Amino acid sequence: MRGTHFFKHLSFISSWRISSQPRRLIHGVFPSPLSQRRLSSVFRNFSTSSSLPTTHSLTSPYFSVRISCPKDSADMLSEALLCFGASSTSMDEQGSDEGNDKICIDSIFSDRQDVDVCISHAADSVGLKELPSYEVRVGEQYDWIKKTQESFCPVEVTEGLWIVPEWRTPPDAHATNIILNPGFAFGTGEHPTTKLCLLLLHGLIKGGERFLDYGTGSGILAIAALKFGAASSVGIDVDPQAITAATQNAALNKISPNKMQLTLVPPDGRTHEVVEGQSPNSMGVTTESESFDIVIANILLNPLLDLADDIVSHAKPGAVVAVSGIISEQVPYIMERYSPLLESISVTEIDDWACVCGTKRRGLTVN
Amino acid sequence: MSSLKEILTRRPVSATIRLTVPAGAARPAPPVGPALGQYRLNLMAFCKDFNARTQKYKPDTPMAVTITAYKDNTFEFTVKSPSVTWYLKKAAGIELGSGRPGHVVASSVTLKHIYEIAKAVSKNVNVMLLDFVDGIS
Repeated sequence: MRGTHFFKHLSFISSWRISSQPRRLIHGVFPSPLSQRRLSSVFRNFSTSSSLPTTHSLTSPYFSVRISCPKDSADMLSEALLCFGASSTSMDEQGSDEGNDKICIDSIFSDRQDVDVCISHAADSVGLKELPSYEVRVGEQYDWIKKTQESFCPVEVTEGLWIVPEWRTPPDAHATNIILNPGFAFGTGEHPTTKLCLLLLHGLIKGGERFLDYGTGSGILAIAALKFGAASSVGIDVDPQAITAATQNAALNKISPNKMQLTLVPPDGRTHEVVEGQSPNSMGVTTESESFDIVIANILLNPLLDLADDIVSHAKPGAVVAVSGIISEQVPYIMERYSPLLESISVTEIDDWACVCGTKRRGLTVN
Repeated sequence: MSSLKEILTRRPVSATIRLTVPAGAARPAPPVGPALGQYRLNLMAFCKDFNARTQKYKPDTPMAVTITAYKDNTFEFTVKSPSVTWYLKKAAGIELGSGRPGHVVASSVTLKHIYEIAKAVSKNVNVMLLDFVDGIS
């Protein structure tokens, strides 16, 4: 470390959090593949470090630094810390009756080596005369993951339809319950766009339809379609974690693989080619043109615009195509892009979110 | 100006969180996970919301996000254009600043760069419009 004279105010406390999980995290060393298999079921939807850069691995610890600084420099120091390498900063709100003129900033770093240099540069850049005192703690990913899971509660999307996290009991055993462990994939049932799509499916499905979930995430829509009576669901996504999560959620809901096929596809929209899924038992899955009765893409504006032709190409002429994951102000762009492809377009909204739904025009040239 | 009633019914704040997230690419994993998860905020909701609202920016541009977390676990957030540091590094074509600020020069920018950066930051201009963001010589 350079500049050791900077550290006369340094108080350094590093502690290990003893985890109740069978694995131990070794500082700076990644778990061997063997120990990863012993991760508990809480983690089984979380991918290993192979798909993430090493500093953001879900199995490596992060460093939480509590910095004490004068109240009136706190905002500036927070922003400076981000410029110099902190991943995030947070400040707890203080009661106005506290006479203390110091406030604590909690800052998260992914790399222990960055901490001291970053704080000294940040303090310098906002004009603090002395280096603030700080303490470093090791945080485990498990801590915040557990807290996040605790905030998932069963959600009643509409009467008789519940989304229930795997670790809770369904409030109504006789309702249609979709059991979910979303892992790091999207789709917990709470989001307005998920609700919009679920309500749409609920109203559309009469029995025997073929459904395509374009951007399946946790698989929630694909699973829901089957529960409502569809004959089969296909879920595709560009994210391997989504396919992993969806596969496991299908199993949680006791759905057999021949009813629900899940496939990783390339991000450039070439979804019609034969692609193999990620699990060892996968077969080649063909998403043929024009073979689905309902296609839903609950993703984001830009991919919806870029992939419009591909999305619609999967629907039979006259079949329903719906897109969501867009905020209300983005609806005009969707309308402009999809009007040549769909007719009888309607828009449903919850809060600031929208779902645009139409039927595929007959006589469109298929590429 | 807020009315008295608004002030009295304003939700109590539990914390202010700042982080940098690439536009359109928020995921419920680090850095978002640890920062928001600690306060039991709904990570999926934040990611979906943030990604949808940053669709108009060049993908992966680091956006400065400030989140106000309320005691009832709800939250609001604002998104600002990248920090001045990021713009300067982009304009200068470097990844890291000088290891010895004040002694060693890492790179340089032109006066035009500084003017454009100042304009962009002051108006929160859509970064896609800035020429030098794309290819730096």
